[in-house]
Amino acid sequence: MYNESSMAARDTNPNFMNGVPELLILRLLQQEEMYGYEIVQAIRDRTDAVIAVGEGVVYPVLHGLERDGALKSRRKTVNGRSRIYYSVTRAGSRRLSDLSEDWANLTGAIQKMLTGGQRGQVIA
Amino acid sequence: MAKSLHELRERLLRAGVAPRHVRRYLNELSDHLADLKAEEECAGRNPADAESAALIRLGKMDELATAMTERREFQSWCARAPWAMFGLVPFLLLAIAWCVALLILWSGWQIFLANTDTPFVPVDGFAVFYFGAGRLLYFIAPILVGWGIGLIAARQRLKAVWPILGFLFVALMGGAARVQASRTALSSGLGHIRMDLALGPSVQGSLFHALVIFSLAVLPYIIWRFQKAHFVSA
Repeated sequence: MYNESSMAARDTNPNFMNGVPELLILRLLQQEEMYGYEIVQAIRDRTDAVIAVGEGVVYPVLHGLERDGALKSRRKTVNGRSRIYYSVTRAGSRRLSDLSEDWANLTGAIQKMLTGGQRGQVIA
Repeated sequence: MAKSLHELRERLLRAGVAPRHVRRYLNELSDHLADLKAEEECAGRNPADAESAALIRLGKMDELATAMTERREFQSWCARAPWAMFGLVPFLLLAIAWCVALLILWSGWQIFLANTDTPFVPVDGFAVFYFGAGRLLYFIAPILVGWGIGLIAARQRLKAVWPILGFLFVALMGGAARVQASRTALSSGLGHIRMDLALGPSVQGSLFHALVIFSLAVLPYIIWRFQKAHFVSA
């Protein structure tokens, strides 16, 4: 389908979809409204491209969050181009708090495993 | 729109994603692709390479499709409950249309034919149009519902099984419907209109009527499928 012969396809994180995109998107949109392309670029920039994903898959996540009432969207014309801007609702802010807490617990638990129960002593 | 996005649209529709979600997804992907292409061109690539690079960054077809199809909330009702879309909904639509048609018949009977025992007598003047509207609605309703079934099936790229069942159901209902009217059935003398669903007394007549409805209802869908098959094979 795509002409991939001239350039190598990027490696992506298949598990990216497991709750992380919601967290990142809600966090970004809490600061300012953005459209899809901006969101993906912001994720790439702020994670130093550690999180790589087919950029288009951000839209089902956005649509799902909007459907759940966590985001709202509006169409805005900028530089002659019509874009759909997304922003966080109150329900979205609450969801962000919950997701952040879950993520902090999870990373804390993983860190604890890696350090063998003692912080700062990573098992090689 | 890039050819790959056309392919993605067909794939999503066939997977049961609702057309409105597919449309919105593809519109945003198309805009995103244009932004990516512009970015790649700014980085010094020629337009062809920029497009290829943009498509790779946008995501593989499988990734883009799975991101939508794995979410049940984006599935259409035809995919979630085809029995309802091609059985219950046509039944309700027909019931509503026939209720309106019978109301027209009954009210016309009271207005124009107050002294007759049945509304099924020759009329003239404005009554022709009044009763004609009701009769038209009564006879055309199954065909219109059938066209609706075909339209939905075509839009959502459904396999033929459910639409055909829907066409058959509507045709049989249309063929089996019978309207009876009697002023003497009620003591008030207001007149009584009743509708039955039965293949008798003339089974052949009912089946012929059903066949006519089926043929007219299914025709646009058959044409669409033929054109689609011709387009794919060309």
